[in-house]
Amino acid sequence: MTELSLRLAVTFAQILAEMSIVIITVATMTYFERKVLGWMQDRMGPMEVGPYGLLQPVADGIKLFFKEDIVPAGANKAMFALAPMLTMVVAMIGFAVIPFGPNITLDIYGVTIKPFVVADINIGVLYILAIASIGAYGIILGGWASNSKYSLLGGLRAAAQVISYELNVGLALVGVLLLAGTLSLVQITEAQAGGFWHWFIWGGRPNGFFPIHTQIFAFVVFIISAVAETNRIPFDLPEAESELVAGFFTEYSGMRFAFFVSAEYANMTLVSCVASALFLGGWNAPYPGTIFEYIGLEQLAWVEHIAWFAAKVYFFLFLFIWIRATLPRLRYDQLMRFGWKVMLPIALANIIITSITLYFFPRG
Amino acid sequence: MTFKAWIKTITFYDILVGMKVTMAHMLHYRPVTIQYPHEKRTLPDNYRGMLALLRYDDGTEKCVGCDLCEAACPSRVIRVISAEVPGEPTKRYSKEYYMDMTRCLFCGLCVDACPVDALGMTREFEWSVYDKRQLHLNKEQLLAIGDRSFPVREKQLELQHPNVAFFNVAFKHLPQKPG
Repeated sequence: MTELSLRLAVTFAQILAEMSIVIITVATMTYFERKVLGWMQDRMGPMEVGPYGLLQPVADGIKLFFKEDIVPAGANKAMFALAPMLTMVVAMIGFAVIPFGPNITLDIYGVTIKPFVVADINIGVLYILAIASIGAYGIILGGWASNSKYSLLGGLRAAAQVISYELNVGLALVGVLLLAGTLSLVQITEAQAGGFWHWFIWGGRPNGFFPIHTQIFAFVVFIISAVAETNRIPFDLPEAESELVAGFFTEYSGMRFAFFVSAEYANMTLVSCVASALFLGGWNAPYPGTIFEYIGLEQLAWVEHIAWFAAKVYFFLFLFIWIRATLPRLRYDQLMRFGWKVMLPIALANIIITSITLYFFPRG
Repeated sequence: MTFKAWIKTITFYDILVGMKVTMAHMLHYRPVTIQYPHEKRTLPDNYRGMLALLRYDDGTEKCVGCDLCEAACPSRVIRVISAEVPGEPTKRYSKEYYMDMTRCLFCGLCVDACPVDALGMTREFEWSVYDKRQLHLNKEQLLAIGDRSFPVREKQLELQHPNVAFFNVAFKHLPQKPG
């Protein structure tokens, strides 16, 4: 009984810490997205609330919290209320299997815990793919339940787009899974230790120098499909502002709107975490070992590991904003043709080529 | 598709060129924004802002109640109620003078039309109000705007130099009669 309660307490503390990190990242992203977009377009971004607009996320949160909660006439109230919750919860629980730091264990009164991953399950990648697919339900339900043409069109577009690109995300990951031989994100990250040439974007050097197991095509397919799956510009057709007002969340206001927006940023953070863990070595530094180990502070190595993971994740988040500042929105037929005729064959060919190279040059 | 074009396609050459442009703009951060309430742009010399009624330097109103501004206004902003000056049957003045600034399009035709230069366009533009009835200005308000925007006033017509007296065009370089 005491062991169970201790285990529960530790797990809840971990969940709380992880949720706080994600929420803070989301709040930071809402600020930096507007800031960086402003800088790239010769503007300033938010400047009024606090120094350099730093308190803008707080002001936005308070404003959205006190806004009127409107349910449109004719809307399916249960589904209308369910959709933002579903989207938000699903976006949050995906982080459970993400390893933020090294795979070390702590013993607290006989209970073994891993401090930097909430749940080290052996089907981590599958779990993330499954959870991300449920997120599409929130979007589709929100679009359908609003009893609005714009919302419905946005929801339909979201359904088609998420299904098309979810496939590419899954197939792009298969090459990495073949190389690592496991579905656990912790073990996949551990398999990439020892310098940046061991990251799965290069795939190690099994044949002397040439990185024959390179997953760079899968990496590019994954990044593009991740942008499409999180409904970001240039693939933001479900919420195309100039065509569909706000797409599937046109009719939402107040905290429900805030849930949808936060879920979008949380999904961005999640795919950034997955991309860093699977392709860029997760917590591993681009050099073998850590600097703290070289100078004799082994017990502080986890700080450096976490810093590298955060750096990779924030690089991807910056990339999302950078792409948004650069590219215009695709047309719908372009989106579908690109997904099915370009991304899908590349992902499939990558699986075949990785299998063949792995058969002839097994990883040492 | 030539080999060069093919290479450009698979390396996302065009997209990378575009992303280089946005990154260059971010690194060479020169915003065009003017932080409006904190810093204000320099107005041009011929800026046409809020309308105002003017006075002579002895404090009498310039307006003679001729209604020409009302006739000239394309938006029917101005309404003048003219009256005789009590005790002086040859002189008139505007007993009441209203401007509905919600309709004004700041064309300046009323200022051009005025034969005694009684109307002026100030450089005020911050006239946002919560109640638009506050933009329905009467004579006292318009005179107050003129008082605070044009501290230097002209002399009475009969005291000005005879060469400029008729249309009361204030040529500053001409000598003025001592008051």
